[in-house]
Amino acid sequence: MIRIVTLDRVDPTDLAFLTRTLYQAFGLGTEHSGERPIPAGAERKDGRLDAIGLLREVAPLRTFADDKVLYIVGAPLALPAGPLGEPPCWGFAEYNKDRATITTHNLPPRGVTETSIENHRRRLAREAIHAIGHLWDLHHCYDARCAMHPSWSTSLAPNPEMDLCAFCREKSERKIRLAKT
Amino acid sequence: MRGPPARHPDDNARELLPAPEGIISDADQLVPGDRVVYPNQGVCEVVGVEEKDIAGQKLQLVRMRREEDGAAVLVPRNKLTSIGLRRVAAGAQMEGVFHYLAAQFDDPELDWKVRHRDNADRLIAGGVLGVAEVVKGLHSLSRLRPLPAKEREQYDNARHLLVHEVAVSLNVPPGLAEDYIDFALMPPAGAKFDLKPPPKPVLLPSRPKKKRPTTEDEGDLGLGDLGLGDLGIDLEGAIEGGEGAAAAEGGETAEAGAEPAEGGAKEGEGAEAEAAPVRPRAEARAKPEPRAEKRPAKKPAAKPARKEKAPARTAPAKKEKPARAEKKPARKGKKR
Repeated sequence: MIRIVTLDRVDPTDLAFLTRTLYQAFGLGTEHSGERPIPAGAERKDGRLDAIGLLREVAPLRTFADDKVLYIVGAPLALPAGPLGEPPCWGFAEYNKDRATITTHNLPPRGVTETSIENHRRRLAREAIHAIGHLWDLHHCYDARCAMHPSWSTSLAPNPEMDLCAFCREKSERKIRLAKT
Repeated sequence: MRGPPARHPDDNARELLPAPEGIISDADQLVPGDRVVYPNQGVCEVVGVEEKDIAGQKLQLVRMRREEDGAAVLVPRNKLTSIGLRRVAAGAQMEGVFHYLAAQFDDPELDWKVRHRDNADRLIAGGVLGVAEVVKGLHSLSRLRPLPAKEREQYDNARHLLVHEVAVSLNVPPGLAEDYIDFALMPPAGAKFDLKPPPKPVLLPSRPKKKRPTTEDEGDLGLGDLGLGDLGIDLEGAIEGGEGAAAAEGGETAEAGAEPAEGGAKEGEGAEAEAAPVRPRAEARAKPEPRAEKRPAKKPAAKPARKEKAPARTAPAKKEKPARAEKKPARKGKKR
């Protein structure tokens, strides 16, 4: 089961589209499990949220084995700097575990036209599939058309696809089949 | 930057190659709680040494626990040094890996057999840099063309191993480690790194080569039985010419290596050695004349035969067609 928790306001129609898309991508039941406040400890001095701290300190949610929880925030997320600097952050997932977070801050603006709303929804769905994919043991994929391709990559199309490539899909299906429940 | 080098040129250099940094050469170095990297398996934690009775033999086994999934790994104590167990890469070594990942790479190995075999060896014996080389090499190849299924799997496995080792080494979650790796591999627009020269690529031990027939064996190949002598080719002369060429090359290298004081005598010998084989070479060069004669001799022999056949195929009523028959050989002649 995939549970979506919002930490900022997300349009209900966008959430409906997201749950439907996640169900199609992974074949798992998906539902919106309510809202939670942003944990105070996750806020950084520069106004961004520490993605790792947010997942550590967010209020717990009642889950069962193999449930995956996706937290959606509106504020920009940040990651600690690595050997070559700070990588851009569109989201963060506890690899092969049960919690992930994504931000709507980097998505194309929702706007008011049908096209802009559609683009916003599709990109939101792509980032959600990407984060849930990490929870199901998927690594980044070199295929720019795959949802597991890094979100900051320069080879990504302006409106990228929100599907997994054949390799990632098969791998995620295998992992889901082998899951305890 | 060029791709990883080929295998070590020296066949007997397996023992001479530098072992990957941090490799465990003695089982006594391990203490319960140590984190080690088991090649192709990932990061393991040493639990302890235990003695087991297996098939009537008492074996001392080192028990390890794979951190990723908690799987138990038991290795006989005396085989610990041969499996390539090594310590988790240290800070400086890991920094080198990131500089290697971020460097430009434009020379992937295009022969898939060589590539797949080398990559498999790198994953086992190359240390953390070997794993990074596999990821980098296959990633740069994937920009040229999609990877075949087997290599896609290998790429994913290598990435998995690298992500976990980076995570353990830098003490960060694996998800963040993967972001670090891809930040170096696929930098976002506008990102510029202050890169240091990457570490030297891993040298792989050479594999046993297939036995090639020696020149003596080649002499017994029965070339004389092929009837090539009837064609007017002087086989002995050609072979001598080949040997002479090799000798001449050898003479040149000997000259190059010789000291100037001894140069006079050696050069004289070399000159003699060169002079002897040059004759058949000159003969061989002069001999193309009969070949040139033979080729035109063959063509007219073949063409008239067809010309003769062509009227036989055609019905006797269509006698005007010889013009067509003349055209056909003309076309073939052009193709040749």
